[in-house]
This record gives sequence, structure tokens and C-alpha cells, in this order.
Amino acid sequence: MIFAPSADRHTSTRVRSRRPSDELTLIEPVSLAATSMGGRLVVHVEAQGRAEEARRDCRRVIARIDRWAARLTRYTDSSDLVVLNSDPGSAVPVRPILAAAFRAGIAAADASEGFADITLLDARLAAEGKPDVAAASRRGEWEIVRGPRGAAVVRRPPGLRFDFGGVGKGWIADRALDLLAAWPGALIDADGDLAVRCAPGKFWEVGIDDPRAPESSIAVLRLGTPYGGVPTRWGVATSGTSIHRWNVGGAASHHLIDPRTGRPAVTDVVQATVVAGSALRAESLAKAAIIAGSVDGFALLERARVRGAVLVTSNGEVRALPVTMSLLGN
Amino acid sequence: MNTPQPARTRAQTHAPKARPDARPMRLALSAGGLAAMSALAAAIVLPPRPATQASGAVRQPAASADPLANPTAAQVQHPIQYVQLSPGQTAPPGATVIAASAPTPITLTVTVPAPAAQTPVVIKTTASGKVIP
Repeated sequence: MIFAPSADRHTSTRVRSRRPSDELTLIEPVSLAATSMGGRLVVHVEAQGRAEEARRDCRRVIARIDRWAARLTRYTDSSDLVVLNSDPGSAVPVRPILAAAFRAGIAAADASEGFADITLLDARLAAEGKPDVAAASRRGEWEIVRGPRGAAVVRRPPGLRFDFGGVGKGWIADRALDLLAAWPGALIDADGDLAVRCAPGKFWEVGIDDPRAPESSIAVLRLGTPYGGVPTRWGVATSGTSIHRWNVGGAASHHLIDPRTGRPAVTDVVQATVVAGSALRAESLAKAAIIAGSVDGFALLERARVRGAVLVTSNGEVRALPVTMSLLGN
Repeated sequence: MNTPQPARTRAQTHAPKARPDARPMRLALSAGGLAAMSALAAAIVLPPRPATQASGAVRQPAASADPLANPTAAQVQHPIQYVQLSPGQTAPPGATVIAASAPTPITLTVTVPAPAAQTPVVIKTTASGKVIP
């Protein structure tokens, strides 16, 4: 059940009686799952009778994702990101994959009006109570200077460390979807962040997880492309404070750091789901909606012209942007 | 006029011995041959005797005890062991189907997968990560 906020502009749009996806066909994909990026990775392909070929491509994509993730993780000492974070210099050359991820970080910050910030690693570690992090004070301007053949140089204040987190997952999902361009429809599920492409006449069904009731959905989205249209790309991402959380000093805390304070965000939004044109954009805006809170978050999402957004608030309400109604399948 | 016959002399005893008359034996052999030929001909020409009376596999319906009264009911039911199916025919329930090309009778077990219900692919967008203790 979707409830729109009362007495504001989010209630003004009426649900259309006939949705564009009514005559479309649900995609029954070939799917391959793996564990990657610290979570569950699933690659779905609309195989059109070529199941074995589709599985082979799924395996290739998963292998490629593993290689990208191995360079961007902060949990392995040998990753490019950890090497960069350990470098005491202020100008550090980086290889093409890390350089592309930094450019994605800039795009995420731009899309989210600065709420998605990849420089908050120390703030997050401090919020987790890690003893080796004194304070979340090492923030500052940084830039990336393009180099030859995709490489680059990262310029930053000495000691500034980075963490891609969800931004990295969204970027990887979008990039992996490009690898499946030969297939009419494909979907990359990077632990809940989705990059989707849909062929004309077809649609994908995507459930939105209910943080209050595991294994159930608060809504089902239908992401489709009308007959005669061009293949549509979507990005769907969900961010929340109910899963990735911990206790520090007896107080509950979570991983979404407000860049304005350097501390876990104080917000009335428990979970935000955003539908946009790419997984990177959806992930950045979902995080921004949580940090900003429901009122400012909805305003931000409208300015960003997202294709849909569903927020679950701390008082148990489920609110959606009006534009979301055209995507609902139930 | 009777003239006295000269008396037979011993010289006559040395004359070649007269051969026995073959006609009685020829008659006897001819009669025996005819009898044998007649017996053979009779054995070949006679209709076969109904052997069904001696076979335990024969079952006649009780209502057709008199075949002359109901000629169509005089049927002998043989146990059917093999039936060759025409294209499109199906075997009766319980029958063992043998492939025509099989060199020896074998039992073919064909497992046809039931039309399994399509498992819906559940794709969900979720907040990622794990609870940190």
C-alpha cells in the first residue's frame, strides 16, 4: 500500500487507470547469482532462447565485476583504493578503473547536491567507534586530473581518504550493464542496487523491500518499454538506516554520514528507494533523500526529476512521489 | 487214337527245373501296393481332426457349445503377447512398449517432466549491507 503525504502536492496526481505496461510482457530471464562486493550479485539476461550463451555472458560479467570491485574495495590491502588511501602524498596517480570511479564520485555528488560524498571514510569510521580514527576532520577539496589512456592523478589534501560504498556499486552496475549490450534486456542486481535495460514490449518487475517486514515488499515496480519505443535504461537503488547500523555508547547509529556535520544523519526517513536513469544516480539520490529527511528529500528528488521515489518514514508511513504511480504494478 | 507213351526215363530227371509260376505273387504284390496307395491317399485327403479338444489353451464360450448352431461363435481366443502399433496408436494401459528397432525386447521408461510451475524471478531493491554487532 502506498500512502502519499497528506495536504501537500504529492497527493495531487491521480493514479492512471491504464498503465503503459498493461500490454507488455514480463521478462523471464536467465539469471546467475554470485557473491561479490560484500553482498549478493545477480545478473539477469533476457535470453530469447539462447540460454547457454546468456549464462556464459553472465559468468563473464560476474568475473569482470569481481575485477573492478577488487580495485575499489577498502577491505583488501592490495586494492588500488587502499594503496591510494595509504599514500601520504597529495598528488597520487591512479589507474583507469580507479580514475573512472572517481569521476563517478563527482557525478554522484553533483546529482545529489553534495549529499553523496566519497570523502567520508574517516567520518564513518569515527562513527563506528574505530579507535584508530581520531576525528572526522580530514575533509577538503579534491580533484582528479586526467592522464594518458584513462589514467589520472588524484589531488587532495594530505591524509584525505576515500570510500566509494554505494556509489561504487551503482557505478559498477551501470558499467556491467554496458557489457550486456548485445542482449535486448538485462538487469544487474548489485546487492539491491539495480541497473536495468528493457526492450520494447517488455517489462521487469522489481519489488521494494519492506524494512519493517523482511521477505515482503511494500510495492512492486514495473519497469517497461512501450512497443515501438527505444530500449529504456533504468536505475533503481534503495538506501536505509535499518540494516547497516550499530551501537556506539549505547546509542544506535548507522552508516549514512551527513556531510554537513560529519556524523550519522539525524533523519525521519528509514528507507528511500529511487528510480532514475542509472544506478549511480538512483543510489546517490536515495542516500541524499535519507540524509536530507522526508521534506527536503522529496524536494530534492523533484528537482532531480527522478522517475520514481518511495520513502519509508520512522513513523511507519510509506510515501511516494506522484510520478511513481505510473510504475506501480500492484 | 491213343498211342502208348514211352516210359519216362531217368534222363528226364536231369531236365532243367521248371520255374514257379509268378502270377500269384504278382497278383498279391499288386493288391498290396494298391492297398498301400489307397491308405496313403486316404490319409492325405482326409480333413484334419479337431485338435482343439486336446489343447488346454482353447476356451470356448459356454453359449457356443454347439458350433453348428452358431458358427460365428466358434472362436478360439489365443493369448495376445505382442501387438504392433500403427502410427498414432497408443498402447493399452499396463502394456509394455517395445521399440520397433530394439534388437531385444526391452522396457523403455520415458520420464516426461511435468510442466513445472514457472518459478517467478524475484528482483528486489534493498538497502545493502549487514548489521554490525
